[in-house]
Amino acid sequence: MTANTSKSKKLVRFLANNTVPILFLFICAFGIPLSGYSASYLISEIIVRLVRNSFLIVSLLIPILAGMGLNFGMTLGAMAGQIGLIFITDWGIVGLPGMILAMIISTPISMALGWLCGKILNMAKGREMVTSYIIGFFMNGIYQLVVLYGMGAVIPIRSKSLVLPRGYGIRNTVNLIGVRKALDDLLLIRIFGIPIPVGTFAVIALLCLFVLWFKKTKLGQDMRAVGQDMEVARAAGIRVEHTRIISIVISTVFAGYGMIIYMQNIGTLNTYNSHMQIGMFSVAALLVGGATVAKANIRNVFLGVVLFHLMFIVSPMAGKNLIGQAQLGEYFRVFVSYGVITMSLVLYEVRKKREQAVAGETLAAAQEVGA
Amino acid sequence: MRARRTLLIRLGAIALLIILSVVLFFVGKSHTVLVDNKATTREGTDLAALKLVEVEVNKLGSLELTPRDRDKFDVTGQKHKVTVTYTDERWEEHTIVRTFTVPLMQDMVMIEVPALVAFPESEQSVWLGKYEAPTYAVTMAESNEVVTDDLAVFMSDM
Amino acid sequence: MNARRPIELGRRFVHSFGLPRIIIALFLLSLFILAPFAGVNVGTSFSDTLNRFGMNAIMVLAMVPMIHSGCGLNFGLPLGIIAGLLGATISLQVNIPGPASFFLAILFCTPFALILGWGYGELLNRVKGGEMMIATYVGFSSVAFMCIMWLLLPFNNPTMVWGFSGSGLRTTISVEGYYLHVLNDFLAIRLGRHLVIPTGMLLFFAFFAFLMWAFLHTKTGTAMTAVGSNPIFARASGINVDRIRTLSVVMSTWLGAVGILVYQQSFGFIQLYMGPFYMALPAVSAILIGGASVNKASILNVIIGTFLFQGIVTMTPSVMNSMIHTDMSEVIRIVVSNGMILYALTRKTEAAR
Repeated sequence: MTANTSKSKKLVRFLANNTVPILFLFICAFGIPLSGYSASYLISEIIVRLVRNSFLIVSLLIPILAGMGLNFGMTLGAMAGQIGLIFITDWGIVGLPGMILAMIISTPISMALGWLCGKILNMAKGREMVTSYIIGFFMNGIYQLVVLYGMGAVIPIRSKSLVLPRGYGIRNTVNLIGVRKALDDLLLIRIFGIPIPVGTFAVIALLCLFVLWFKKTKLGQDMRAVGQDMEVARAAGIRVEHTRIISIVISTVFAGYGMIIYMQNIGTLNTYNSHMQIGMFSVAALLVGGATVAKANIRNVFLGVVLFHLMFIVSPMAGKNLIGQAQLGEYFRVFVSYGVITMSLVLYEVRKKREQAVAGETLAAAQEVGA
Repeated sequence: MRARRTLLIRLGAIALLIILSVVLFFVGKSHTVLVDNKATTREGTDLAALKLVEVEVNKLGSLELTPRDRDKFDVTGQKHKVTVTYTDERWEEHTIVRTFTVPLMQDMVMIEVPALVAFPESEQSVWLGKYEAPTYAVTMAESNEVVTDDLAVFMSDM
Repeated sequence: MNARRPIELGRRFVHSFGLPRIIIALFLLSLFILAPFAGVNVGTSFSDTLNRFGMNAIMVLAMVPMIHSGCGLNFGLPLGIIAGLLGATISLQVNIPGPASFFLAILFCTPFALILGWGYGELLNRVKGGEMMIATYVGFSSVAFMCIMWLLLPFNNPTMVWGFSGSGLRTTISVEGYYLHVLNDFLAIRLGRHLVIPTGMLLFFAFFAFLMWAFLHTKTGTAMTAVGSNPIFARASGINVDRIRTLSVVMSTWLGAVGILVYQQSFGFIQLYMGPFYMALPAVSAILIGGASVNKASILNVIIGTFLFQGIVTMTPSVMNSMIHTDMSEVIRIVVSNGMILYALTRKTEAAR
């Protein structure tokens, strides 16, 4: 009797904790046959998405560890990476050296932006997520100021083909032909005709190892303590504000590298739009993988990329085959992307309230017993 | 003491990065090497364009040039090798192999093959010159508007 | 001796009014002063500013109930806008031309606003503390969901649907023939050749502003303020906190619906699909510019804030374009509006007036 009830309880608990990924499994299970895509097409597409996006999503893990929630401010890192790419394209540096140089250039910019972001978030404790979201928009304005007005005018740009006809400001799209697939093609192998960029996967694996190692270091443990309870951490002597800022700086720097990896896979830089989208999609993918605002690990990253992008890929065709309009499928996937973030946020808050209520009740009960 | 050591290590790391950046700049700088088979003048003497000549830069595959012909090679880095194979009036084949260095900040250089063939032992400035692309060829016919479309999210592929 | 008093008063004024607001006000004033020198007609600019003020003011007013009840800034305004869009499209579908369609639109949007607002309010009650982030994403999700709906719902008025297939609403629908400028032209005052005051629209806003002010002084209204400033005290006084919060959300949603209808009658078009997506941000930053904070707002904040914000949005392109031949208005708008929201989010204490 008890074995059965605890088992069903475990199942219920498992379902409750993993609502979002399971929901997505259903959507994919429904949508994949509807779309009519072949397995090999889907697998090769998913490999591409894994290569492109994983690095960016892993960069979200550290702020969650430190209790800063979902770092929508990764947009800032993306902007820094893009600026690095603009410079190397202007200077004509190609291939792997170009990519690495772009990363080196993006690092100080990411560090500065991340530090600024962290400082602002420290002023808005308790509202970190909304604030990081608005910081992303705010910095977009500054980014436009630099890239759309400053470059070519105040910041010297050598190659005319990058600049708008009016003389200053970078064009809408920048052809990254120099660094296109620079990392991907480094160690490209083919399994059953599906190209697998081992080089990029190696880099992603390195980052995962770094994150795992980092969690065990003193700084990592400090962040975890700050994430669990700021006041307790402060009492234990941890410099709470400083640790929080560091977590954002690290995240922003990695987001910059991740953006460069993303861009070298795509091959074209959409100067004014790429960085704005990337934050939302990375967060959504992470949440789909089962992460919450307070807890996320590497498993969530990869599961999330696979599930989220499967949904993303099959939706238009599934919509077309189901209702006759591909546009419907496209709107559907946008709705699902935002819906999953909404649902995750709501579930997180509800669960947090319940845990606080339970803690409060046990405390009250303990006090009653004591009295 | 501890603080000064940290500072020194940090400064050392930054210096290392700067050196690395410079190295990457040199290693990764791309150039376009134009090879040109046009009649040209050197030291007062007119040199005719060659009837048929094969040119190869590094190992990028040899290109055939007829008179007035021009082609290009995209290279990375500064030091390169050019191999020229031609047949003279006595139906003998000659091969000239020369190394050359492209100036770092120069995007495009041009090798005038007739000059190289005429003076195969001369220094590179005789047959290698800087080249500036004409500006009208460079500006792309793209739309002038910068579209900062917030909702481009939904039009693009992730 | 005598110089100290004004400096002290000045410093207190700056501190209470907020430095960013003063900077923005001075910026706008300088734009108006520079306008004639830049060849921009002050009368036209003023008319445009008043026009945009009227267009947006009710949506900014919609922020007030939720700020009062402690639900924070209503980033989920798109939900109310959707209710308004449903009212507008149904009114056009019913096809009664002329000013009556405007009041029909308000009539039709109300049930949607009530239902959506109620659901939204219940949701926010369960997530106290994280309202703003969830509000943002509820807004986004609902806009995306409605995109699907706009394609599927059985509208068939030829002015609204795609001509070729006959089904699925167009992205922008003109309200000409229905309620275009219905409020603007009502009792409009023409001063000279350039200055037109859209009296009808301004009176409409004044009416709602007065209603809001009156409501906040009723028993329920003061209860709402109590819930926002001190929920524990409010509950101890016997106020049903959750019910008041839901009421504030419903009010905000309904005002958002009416607000978008007022916007449409001046703008001339109904914008569907992704149109409402980012519409919360201008309203949020407008009320913050006016002096509100995350948990305190007044009608005066609405008026001052909307005027300043829309003034900058109107004046910057024309004046700056003529002066330095660069259109930096977009960048300035982004920096000012988001900077203002950041300023409000990072302040610990309540704000002024």
